[in-house]
Amino acid sequence: MAGNTSSLVIDSLCDQAREEDIVVAWVYCDFNALQEQTIINIMGAILKRLVGRKIPDDIRRAFQEGRRPLLPDLMRMLRIAIASLPQVFICIDALDECLPKDLPELLGSLRDIIRESPRTRIFLTGRPHVNEVVRRYFTAAVAIPTSPDPDDIRNYLEMRLDKDDEPEAMNDDLRAEIVTTIQEKMSNM
Amino acid sequence: MAQTTSTHRVTFGDGNTHCGNIANSFNTTVYNSDEDAKIMHWLSPLQPENRHHSVRADRFEGVGNWLLETSELWEWRGGEGGADEAVLFCFGDPGVGKTHLR
Repeated sequence: MAGNTSSLVIDSLCDQAREEDIVVAWVYCDFNALQEQTIINIMGAILKRLVGRKIPDDIRRAFQEGRRPLLPDLMRMLRIAIASLPQVFICIDALDECLPKDLPELLGSLRDIIRESPRTRIFLTGRPHVNEVVRRYFTAAVAIPTSPDPDDIRNYLEMRLDKDDEPEAMNDDLRAEIVTTIQEKMSNM
Repeated sequence: MAQTTSTHRVTFGDGNTHCGNIANSFNTTVYNSDEDAKIMHWLSPLQPENRHHSVRADRFEGVGNWLLETSELWEWRGGEGGADEAVLFCFGDPGVGKTHLR
């Protein structure tokens, strides 16, 4: 389920944000949005979130100068925004759906943020192969494997089958076969 | 050009108010002016709130909840550690991606 893990963590942090003084920002990386999904736009999206609805004067002035923000501009604005907040959580979903050439710059920028504001927490998800590059930037990162649980798979399939557009084409045998086959294939991955 | 905004206090952190779990609350951010909306778009055309809204709409309650109970997650979000404990990375194959089931 694309984004499932991140969306749970984001919701849970947002619940916490109602009680405590934290701010949660996130970006879901997406193969289908590679053109828009530049590092500048990712950092800009995080900044938008941190700014909320009260746009600081320095950002307004930079906008009125009329040029596109560059990464150093955004990083400077982000530093100011984060420093003014008690604690910031940043979640980036699906690092593997970022262009491989962009990943070092993205992780490097996040590392700069942590160096500046060590209380900032960063939540990342991705396929196993990005683990290596994440480690390069965050040697002490805690990594949790999230392979799908067979019960989760069955529950999810049942839910999707319940929503089937053509229920008349479905019967109990077919239903059972679909669930069993997919569960088997998943456990062989 | 006179800027009525120049007296605004620099305040961050209003982001929490439209962060919550109420369905449809992600698309309803109203900015104070056209310029504010333009500034937001200038900062980034990406709209992570919308994406979050669609991902969570497709979510099945209970799936993946175990992660929220792990000590790793709680220690990370406790945020007491310094820079060394700043990053939590969840890795896995996409599993039952919704694209695979359509």
